[in-house]
Amino acid sequence: MADDFRILVVDDEAVITRSCQRILQAEGYNVETASSGKDAVLKMEQAGYNLVLTDLKMPEMDGITLIKWMKNNRPDAGVVIITGYPSQETIKDALDVGIIDYVPKPFTPAVLLDVTGRAVEWVKGKTGVEEKPKEEFPPSMISELDRVIEQYKTKPGSSIPVLQRAQEIVGYLPPQIMKRVARGLNLSPAEVHSIVSFYSFFTMKPRGDHNIRICLGTACYVKRVEESINKLKAELKIDVGDVTEDKKFSLETVRCLGACGLAPVMVIDDKTYGAVSPKKIKDILGSYS
Amino acid sequence: MEKYRANLLLCAGTGCVASGTQEVKEALKEELKKRDLEDEIKLVLTGCNGFCAEGPVMLVYPEEIFYQKLTVEDIPKLVEEHFLKGRPYEKLMFREPEKRAAIPLMNDIPFFKYQVLRVLRNKGMIDPDSLDEYIARDGYMAAAKALTGMTSEEIIKTIKDSGLRGRGGAGFPTGLKWEFASKSQADQKYMLCNGDEGDPGAFMDRSVMEADPHSVIEGMVIGAKAIGATKGVIYVRAEYPLAVQRLQKAIEDCREAGLLGENILDSGFSFDVEIYLGAGAFVCGEETALMRSIEGKRGMPRPRPPFPAHKGLWDKPSVLNNVETLAQIAPTILNGSEWYRTLGTEKSPGTKVFALTGDIRNVGLVEVPMGTPLKRIIYDIGGGIKKKKKKFKSVQMGGPSGGCIPESLLDIPVTYEDIVKTGAIMGSGGMVVMDEDTCMVSTSKFFLEFTADESCGKCTPCRVGTRVMLDMLTDITEGKGKEGDIETLEDLSRDIIATSLCGLGQTAPNPVLSTIRYFREEYESHIRDHWCKTGICSHLCSFHISEELCKGCQACLKACPQQAIIGEKKKAHRIIQELCIQCRSCYDTCKFGSIKIGPPGKKDLPAPVSKAEDK
Repeated sequence: MADDFRILVVDDEAVITRSCQRILQAEGYNVETASSGKDAVLKMEQAGYNLVLTDLKMPEMDGITLIKWMKNNRPDAGVVIITGYPSQETIKDALDVGIIDYVPKPFTPAVLLDVTGRAVEWVKGKTGVEEKPKEEFPPSMISELDRVIEQYKTKPGSSIPVLQRAQEIVGYLPPQIMKRVARGLNLSPAEVHSIVSFYSFFTMKPRGDHNIRICLGTACYVKRVEESINKLKAELKIDVGDVTEDKKFSLETVRCLGACGLAPVMVIDDKTYGAVSPKKIKDILGSYS
Repeated sequence: MEKYRANLLLCAGTGCVASGTQEVKEALKEELKKRDLEDEIKLVLTGCNGFCAEGPVMLVYPEEIFYQKLTVEDIPKLVEEHFLKGRPYEKLMFREPEKRAAIPLMNDIPFFKYQVLRVLRNKGMIDPDSLDEYIARDGYMAAAKALTGMTSEEIIKTIKDSGLRGRGGAGFPTGLKWEFASKSQADQKYMLCNGDEGDPGAFMDRSVMEADPHSVIEGMVIGAKAIGATKGVIYVRAEYPLAVQRLQKAIEDCREAGLLGENILDSGFSFDVEIYLGAGAFVCGEETALMRSIEGKRGMPRPRPPFPAHKGLWDKPSVLNNVETLAQIAPTILNGSEWYRTLGTEKSPGTKVFALTGDIRNVGLVEVPMGTPLKRIIYDIGGGIKKKKKKFKSVQMGGPSGGCIPESLLDIPVTYEDIVKTGAIMGSGGMVVMDEDTCMVSTSKFFLEFTADESCGKCTPCRVGTRVMLDMLTDITEGKGKEGDIETLEDLSRDIIATSLCGLGQTAPNPVLSTIRYFREEYESHIRDHWCKTGICSHLCSFHISEELCKGCQACLKACPQQAIIGEKKKAHRIIQELCIQCRSCYDTCKFGSIKIGPPGKKDLPAPVSKAEDK
């Protein structure tokens, strides 16, 4: 475990903080302890912590108040609660203020290590992901997306149109864009992901400068489109669903373009090519260089 | 309004655009300007004409002369000959393959001669972006009649009496559907249009939306009045950008003209339509799935009842009609149910649009009266098999839910009842013709790939069963089939049909069952002899050159990517089996039919082909 990832264990019972510290340190975590919410705040003001494991019922300042303070002042740190009352209400309260997970009391070392391990991964993943949009997507793109979300926000059933627009704006739907849409439309990321993965129109991978869509409809099948697909794969050295190394072309198949009179049919960006054959593929690709 | 000496109706459907309509249009415009004919001759871009294989096509009014395969280079000559000298330009006219004479008039061309246009009444005749042109063809007369002079009951009675059946596939009586919804009590009802044309090989809905968007909207207005809906949604595939654009324009024009919105035509009736873009899921053609999708969820079907007529979109009574169904509403209201019944059969009245594609000469959209024999459609209108020496093998109807009909049944009339008896279904009207070079096992595998991929996953028999069937079919095409596989496939098919919730699973095994029914010996040959006689399954065949038939032209030798063919000019060639990769290039190249397909692994040369065939 790298030293720069710091964990703080907060509990008014010293036996708990000590045993947690012992168990976690044995696995190489960098762990310190605090005896109350107030003590934790003081410690956090002195030094940065990445993950806080806290009890809920404590004198002076209880766990929920501590978590709320953290959300306002240390939003990047993750929180796991340790509780002797894992009733639905307490968990729900804690979830509402944004915890990652919980450890029920009494617990075994295995449970503590398991929950902590996952929380550490989550915090690392989260900070990694949250920083990305600033690097990858220009602010204008994000504000355009926010504008779309704002426009559809109050309309019921708007998830698909918003995602279609989002894909138009960004080009594809990476996790951080899906999350932004989810947050904007008040859906869970899982709901948004379930929609994106269901419909073939959506793609979670970036496309090339030129997107090639080749038809797999019956008429194209009968006219042996397979041979042209194989030729495309060989020419571009990619499989269906992938992007060429130079990011110039991406290759997709579609179920029917409804232009069966021209079978086999291929569409590059918005241009339709009819009666394609392995022989024609090279010339067509060549016209894009 | 200005009058023109001639109107040039240039097709701007997707097919023709891909073949070069835009370039031809620019060339025509320029040429007309150059010759100072701009004020006399009007150029109109129309929706899909239907004769897609010959595109770009153009119809010249008033004479109704049909030009095809236009190129930019031909335009100066065409304008000079036809519009300056008054001599229609023969070079660009349609010719029947065996006959030399050009056919100038559109309605003399066999492809058009046997068609009766109701759904496609305006195809290639009007500018789809012009509300005025639609109105000039009696557009919105029926809506006016329905809104101002008919009660909801009268509209429903007319449609019920006409016997119109839903053109989406199942053929449920439209009037009945409307009646159920009209009797449901609710504060809000929805009139929906299904433009999510998912069947591969069918493109009639796309053409109607592109060529005549107002006919769909008019049908929806009348339907809305019948069931008491004030809101409508057209669900269109995102893969159809031109259709979306045209519908959008049509809706805006209607709102401006007061044909959509509050108090339409001062009748007190209000109705408005919006477009919803589908995101590509075949199962969304199913009505409950489509409604879920509009609600912004995964498009998965749910059990019925409750039927959408009682609880549909947002749990409100809803009617979902197919594009082709809606396009027939206006003329039926205008002319009455008796008129509608003048074509077609007792149980399947009216006309049906088919998308004729595959190994056929005249590819395109055709509309014929119900009850027309399949033979007429395939041979008279379609012109028969494209390749001269090849024989007809089968016609696939109904897409992945349908089946393959063999030559022996081509006399049957196309009606809902008769097609079902063959093991296929009417479906949305895709008609894919296959010649003798088609392997039926591979074809059913193709459809199973489709359904296995598109199964939404809700019902285990459909999700897992189609996958198991696909694996078996793949094994068979690779020579790993076992004795008893055919029976297992049949058993699995029956189970999947019986235990799936929606139409996708209930019909997914149809392509397999129908090919087993009519082409069982092909399955047996694949399994027992490991021999694909069409040479499509490359593991299960070998190619040989018949010494008697080979003319020694060296065409195959040049076509072979492996240099596996040897032989001198004018002497019979041979294939070196060790080098052959069964790519079929020689087979497709040979003009004399001298390449024969034997069972795999015949390494000795020359192969005794005639004996292999006797086997």
